Amino acid sequence: MPHIAKNSLLFPMLGLLVLVSFSLNVSFGSVSIPFDQITDILQNGPDHHWSGQIVWNMRLPRAMASIIGGAMLAVAGLLLQAYFRNPIVGPFVLGVSSGASLMVALVTLTTLSLGFAHVNPYISGIAALAGALGIMVLVIAIAAKIKSPVILLIIGLMIGYITRSVTGAVIAFAEAERLRGFLLWQMGSFAGITWEELKIMSIGGVLLLSGAFTISKPLNAFLLGEDYASTMGVNVKRFRLLVVFLSCALASLVTATAGPVSFIGLAVPHMARLLMNTSNHRLLIPASALLGAIITGVCDLIARMVFSPVETPISGVTCLFGAPIVISLLLKKRTAS
Amino acid sequence: MDLAVGYGRKTVVAGINQEMLKGQFICLLGPNGSGKTTILRTLSRLLSPLKGAVYLNGRMLNDLNSVELAKTLAVVLTEKLSAGLITAFEFAAMGRYPHTGFLGKLSEEDIQKTREALLLVNAGDISDRYFNELSDGEKQKAILARALAQEPEVIILDEPTLHLDLKHRIELIAILRNFSREKGITVIVSLHDVDLALKILEIVALVKDGAIMAWGPPDEVLKEDTVARLYDLDRARFDRKLGTIELINSSNGRTAFVVAGGGTGTPIYRILSRSGLRLMTGVIHENDIDYHIARSIGATVICEKPFRKIKKSRLRRSSTLLEKIDDVIDSGFPIGSSNRRNLKLILNAVEEGKRVYTLRSRKAAHNLYGESAEKLIYCGGCRSILEEIMYRET
Repeated sequence: MPHIAKNSLLFPMLGLLVLVSFSLNVSFGSVSIPFDQITDILQNGPDHHWSGQIVWNMRLPRAMASIIGGAMLAVAGLLLQAYFRNPIVGPFVLGVSSGASLMVALVTLTTLSLGFAHVNPYISGIAALAGALGIMVLVIAIAAKIKSPVILLIIGLMIGYITRSVTGAVIAFAEAERLRGFLLWQMGSFAGITWEELKIMSIGGVLLLSGAFTISKPLNAFLLGEDYASTMGVNVKRFRLLVVFLSCALASLVTATAGPVSFIGLAVPHMARLLMNTSNHRLLIPASALLGAIITGVCDLIARMVFSPVETPISGVTCLFGAPIVISLLLKKRTAS
Repeated sequence: MDLAVGYGRKTVVAGINQEMLKGQFICLLGPNGSGKTTILRTLSRLLSPLKGAVYLNGRMLNDLNSVELAKTLAVVLTEKLSAGLITAFEFAAMGRYPHTGFLGKLSEEDIQKTREALLLVNAGDISDRYFNELSDGEKQKAILARALAQEPEVIILDEPTLHLDLKHRIELIAILRNFSREKGITVIVSLHDVDLALKILEIVALVKDGAIMAWGPPDEVLKEDTVARLYDLDRARFDRKLGTIELINSSNGRTAFVVAGGGTGTPIYRILSRSGLRLMTGVIHENDIDYHIARSIGATVICEKPFRKIKKSRLRRSSTLLEKIDDVIDSGFPIGSSNRRNLKLILNAVEEGKRVYTLRSRKAAHNLYGESAEKLIYCGGCRSILEEIMYRET
């Protein structure tokens, strides 16, 4: 394996960049806070400074969420790209985000939840999770019956279209002032995330990411396609269900906390492949997770700072900055199919 | 019960009941769409049998778990592979899949086995190059190495020579024969090349019209009429002794008469037949290669028994045929006591004012034909004969 020597340096560097991105996210914001105060808060808790609440309950969970969420989205995208052997597949291709959107639209735009929304501040998160997981269960049920990856992919896309059309109908009848909130949610944001939400997302995230790492061997076998993989000893059906479960669950958890953050899951796996110069998933999974964390962290920082104090949606930033990077990487190096 | 294979409700090949032994080199021959791939996919468990069952070492294929199966059986499929950013070595190392642990980390032994496999298929030099950047021939070697690294008892290959040129085709078949002879691996392969099959393989199975038409050693199975039936050949003919397939000379256009012998006629037949000329040839001995080629491309052949002096009656028959023909070719055949009379054919043709093309040098022609040599048309090679004929036609 000729890559390993070179890559043994890359991983510590990526790890370092994750720390840098994290520190930047904690240090900067619409309110400027002296650096020594921030370190003091991080060491001794939020109670000694006027800025304690801002750093401890806003910046810190948000920085961690963007880093963990980014890692989760990138790996979710990588899994599906490997399974479908298709480079333009992302984590939401099986309809997870559209399911979440539909549920969020139903609870925030209609009168179904009238009065209820004010009782529970987590209502849109819970709705998103329910919608995303609902779609995931549906897709897994289909994946248990369908053998062809391509057909599964098309069914996933169709489910997306159906849920989106219902969402469209809901939007058509919605009140204008509520609509803005929904549209912004649809473009994703790590703002306002609580420690509770972060805890759920991180525990789930760490478990699912470890799960993804354990299937790196069959993922590699799938580089040669399903037929070859099965003749090499991959239990294809079990693998298919595992991939669908892991990727959809990863994407669902992030969507529930931050909305459908686009682009990360599609682009980061490409960056990882080009950076590492390999398709070996034992290296690609950690590399994608780290890169996803760095890029999402930096993009969230930009989203907050560029029109500060007004926030732009993170998907706007990820696409605007990420797409040119991917294009230039692809043009410079061999294609990552 | 006999094995029947196919997709869904559609049976493709039925009534299969065969035993394949360790170390045998078995080849399925048959036209496109005859069901070779379907049979191989069923043997590889990529398809379930419609009826009956496949047994491997006495156990039913369906009873094996996927890792057990992968340790006994490796498969090479026809699809063109694009494998992402991995090197030929990493690609071949994929064959270690059923042997490696949970995370697929390669042990020293795995690396050693992979190297050996690459060396055995003459691919040691491409290990570090990216798989997707290899040529088709090199890719096929890496694919073979992967199958070998799996350390199987059986390797099944579907049309492994499909995208290869002649050199790589022969090399690949030689490697496969090596697998079966030296490693004792049973090789089951589907091929298109009847010529290669006849010369190299141990067992051939002819697949046609939903059944195995014949099964056995190629010299017993591959007869002229079976091969013609197998491929529905009406525009080509298979010559068993030579193991070659020739296109049948079926044009109704101009006719040329080739006086040949000793193999000198073969290249001329091929080039003229390809260009649409009708061919007659004589007088040729039945043990001559020219005889076999001329017959299999469907030329009119006037022949003589082996080693016998050409009879006058044959010469007369040639002259009758020559009456209506304007172009006569002297292939430059070697002359001995048995075929000396062929010179007479050429001399007569010159006297009758026909165009006679020769591949001999002027000096040799003078020695043989004397005065008449002046009227010959001298050609440097087969292609220039064709050019001369075409030129004079217009």
